[in-house]
Amino acid sequence: MKATSSLLRRVRQRIRGTLRRHSYSFFSSLGTLMSHRAGTLMTLLVIGIAMLLPQGLHLALVNLERVDLQEEQWGAMSVFMAPAANAQSVNELMDELRALETVERVAALSPAESMQEFLQQSGFSESLMPLDDNPLPWVITVVPVGGDGLEARAQALSEALLGRSLVDAVELDRQWLQRLGRFIELGEALVTTLVLLFALAVMVVVANTIRLDVAARSEEIEVMSLVGARPGFIRQPFLYSGFWYGLLGGVVAMILVNLGLEYLDRPLARLLESYGQQGRLQGFSLRTTLTLLLAGGMLGLLGAWFAVQQYLRVMAESGTLGRR
Amino acid sequence: MIHFDRVSKRYEGGKQALAELSFEIPQGQMVFLTGHSGAGKSTLLRLLLMLETATRGQVVLNGRNLSQTPARLAPNVRQQTGMIFQDHKLLPDKTVFDNVALPLMIAGLRYQDIAKKVRAALKKVGLEDRERSWPLALSGGEQQRVGVARAIVGMPPVLLADEPTGNLDPTLSWELFRLFRELNARGMTILVASHDLDLVRRMGQRVLVLSQGRLVDDLTPGAAQ
Repeated sequence: MKATSSLLRRVRQRIRGTLRRHSYSFFSSLGTLMSHRAGTLMTLLVIGIAMLLPQGLHLALVNLERVDLQEEQWGAMSVFMAPAANAQSVNELMDELRALETVERVAALSPAESMQEFLQQSGFSESLMPLDDNPLPWVITVVPVGGDGLEARAQALSEALLGRSLVDAVELDRQWLQRLGRFIELGEALVTTLVLLFALAVMVVVANTIRLDVAARSEEIEVMSLVGARPGFIRQPFLYSGFWYGLLGGVVAMILVNLGLEYLDRPLARLLESYGQQGRLQGFSLRTTLTLLLAGGMLGLLGAWFAVQQYLRVMAESGTLGRR
Repeated sequence: MIHFDRVSKRYEGGKQALAELSFEIPQGQMVFLTGHSGAGKSTLLRLLLMLETATRGQVVLNGRNLSQTPARLAPNVRQQTGMIFQDHKLLPDKTVFDNVALPLMIAGLRYQDIAKKVRAALKKVGLEDRERSWPLALSGGEQQRVGVARAIVGMPPVLLADEPTGNLDPTLSWELFRLFRELNARGMTILVASHDLDLVRRMGQRVLVLSQGRLVDDLTPGAAQ
């Protein structure tokens, strides 16, 4: 019983000691960063710029994806009927199309409805349109079933429809959306590649900074080792520094990205306005922000770890840190 | 407390630093180690800090056979041993307080306890009003005393000193040795390497004399000289 409680006490003391050492390293690493303000700032700027490109591209994609990209609409087509077509023939064709396995959905727009829509969108009032006759045709919207080979199926369907006597023209009007979708896919692959490359860059920058830092403080490392510091404790402040570099570099990147957004926001709003639309660029969500910052910190930590580990090994081999 | 059993140390270059060295220092004894420079004093102390490994023989410190202790346990050995260096080995970008506190930080003590012990140690070396100073703003003697304070702040069972009076004037040297005697009176085992023969003799303690890595004399106070 007594032995257990004394063991517990020892474990507790050990944990407390570890926590105290960590808090010491935490503050001493911050102190080191603060005491070399100019150097720290330059390093943070380099890291921030390295993180900026993938972050900016990611944001661009996030904003592009907000464009309505329902995949099943990619193959949608507008079928313009000949003037000879009437409600009955249109209904017959629609029933026929509905029966096809490849067709998801059909909808018709009568000449009157089209006119209504046109008048609304164009802003002309009906009184200004002294047309007795409605020149607009019947229009059937056909949405094929999505999935693999959609493009080919949509193409085949449109050709079959064109062969009909009552069909004047077929327009695959969502094709550009599909292309945009493909571009976004490409963009995503690009972002992934860039993220990996720039993550490496961040690690290398931090590793190099920490390596110089360790070299500059080799005397301190030696003294700490002489008075009994374990390698883990010697490593700690440098790892914290690496973490700070990554995290604060991420903050710098965020600030730059947000400045960019701010700068782009007005021209974009004006552009959209000229299309009669409204929109604002979307920034990072809180969750994404935290994830990005933490990821930056982790990259810094990793870079620092490599640098310190390598340097300590060299020091140990040269006999500075202990027995030879 | 400190036991050397036929210890030899040969450096990689082939230089024989210690040869067949044997002696025993019981707990609570204060011993001076003298000899010309190059006689092996520093090597002997470095063996006790596990900064070097004996080529042959056994070095036992505080019941632990250092010759058979793995390198990863060196921090444990150093934490239980106070060491005063000739060149002080202070951290120039840390205050006197932080320098002295270092061993206690490493041990993971509470800040309040650290502060109390650091102030007590600084008081013992007469630097209680300099805790906020930077080491480089102090004189050589004061820096040496900061080093002493750091070595004794954790009240280690063993205190080693390598030429602690190297940069001190006779008065300060004498005061430092008096401090050693005081610590020794409290039970600390102390081994001081010094070539200040005059001072060593005046202390009236046991003296080990090294020459070319061999123990050539072991003078005990009171014995005929």
